[in-house]
Amino acid sequence: MRTAPPIDRLVAALKRLPGIGDKSATRLAFFLLGAPDAVGQELGEAIARLKRDIVLCAECFDLTDASPCAVCRDPKRDPSLLCVVEEPADLAAIDATGKFRGHFFVLGGALSPIDGVGPEELRIRELEERVRHGIVKEVILATNPNAEGDATAHYVSERLRPQDVTLTRIAYGMPLGGDLEYADHVTIGLSLDHRRAID
Amino acid sequence: MRAQSSEALVLRGVDFGESDRILHLLLPDVGRLTAIAKGARRSRKRFSGTLDLFQHLRVLVDRRRRGAMARLDGATLLRNFDEIRIDPSRFALGCFLLELLDRLAPEGGARADTQRLFRFALDSLALVSERPVDGALRVLLELRALDALGLRPEFSRCVRCAGDALVRGGAVSFHVADGGVVCGPCAREGEGLLAVHPGTLRALEQGLRFELHQLHRLALGPELLAEARLLLGRFERFHVGVELRSRRFLEERLPAVRV
Ligand SMILES: [Zn+2]
Ligand SMILES: [Zn+2]
Repeated sequence: MRTAPPIDRLVAALKRLPGIGDKSATRLAFFLLGAPDAVGQELGEAIARLKRDIVLCAECFDLTDASPCAVCRDPKRDPSLLCVVEEPADLAAIDATGKFRGHFFVLGGALSPIDGVGPEELRIRELEERVRHGIVKEVILATNPNAEGDATAHYVSERLRPQDVTLTRIAYGMPLGGDLEYADHVTIGLSLDHRRAID
Repeated sequence: MRAQSSEALVLRGVDFGESDRILHLLLPDVGRLTAIAKGARRSRKRFSGTLDLFQHLRVLVDRRRRGAMARLDGATLLRNFDEIRIDPSRFALGCFLLELLDRLAPEGGARADTQRLFRFALDSLALVSERPVDGALRVLLELRALDALGLRPEFSRCVRCAGDALVRGGAVSFHVADGGVVCGPCAREGEGLLAVHPGTLRALEQGLRFELHQLHRLALGPELLAEARLLLGRFERFHVGVELRSRRFLEERLPAVRV
């Protein structure tokens, strides 16, 4: 089908999004063309502001619009409990359960030597600093229950061991090999409740 | 022909698209095989608790479509090698072995060879998970992995004259590109030979002959270990041709030379 260059450009841009193929991209482009001006403007502005307005929280390294983020600022949360996760999506999954009322820390991934991800690529130094200067009593290692997540939990606990802090690992209510992001609230809640000391 | 049942070892897993996972597997009768597990990250039933690194599995794999990626239809866990995932040094060595296999294992080939390679992979992971790991075991396992992958350095016969390099007298050296020792009389000036102590060569030769599960009994002193490490490192860089990404973490956890 022959279309005008501005449409082609939008279709090409939309096709880069996950799960969007040729057909969907074309349908979306023609929808936007026929929709009131405000719809397109709002979408364009939201996309433009996304990167500009999102910052990393200086305390937990979650993606947020203000640093420190709302979770880190919340006085009702228990600052002696620190839950360490791999990615912002994992933080969101745990927070959505409403089961956990402590603070978070986003490592930025898991150890994966085969992909060239070593300790330097993760925020382990920052975590050490956070624990050293904070009032953290327990660090809950909530990395994913797969090989890389397990290895990361044990590596991090090895690094934090010199400090006076209790180290625990979420329990395997989670299926082995799984991903926190895809787990349901009940499962995540149970694995937090049944966390165990890590040796 | 239906999907085939086989043992498999997971060498690598890469998330693909919204919910699939692509697995690099080692199969006893096939060698290395890439297969896609459709919906693996969402559906809990077919792949429950499987498709993770280091796992020894029984898989159902469909390789019917020529030219297309094989499809994984099911998997059950045979062994998880838990001890590797909860110890950073074991994890470092285990990942290094998996990467070597992933990069160098043949896709297809003689069945006797692929079966031997599969055996080696399982036995070496068992060794890593059951024994304390150190710089010596790391060097010896690296050597055995290269051997299992068909890259065996020659430590006793001169690669030029086939004579016993250690008996022929004179200084012994190692030629990286030719992959073996050169005896004193055969050595030529200025060809970049690596000087080695006979003791190092004897130890490495033993490292090739020992049963895998006995490998931890071979004692290597610090100097010998450093020399073996250097020699093997150069050999590997030349003959493998790619820098292994997992080497950096391995060096950090299990340096062959204590610093
Ligand atoms: Zn925060
Ligand atoms: Zn010779």
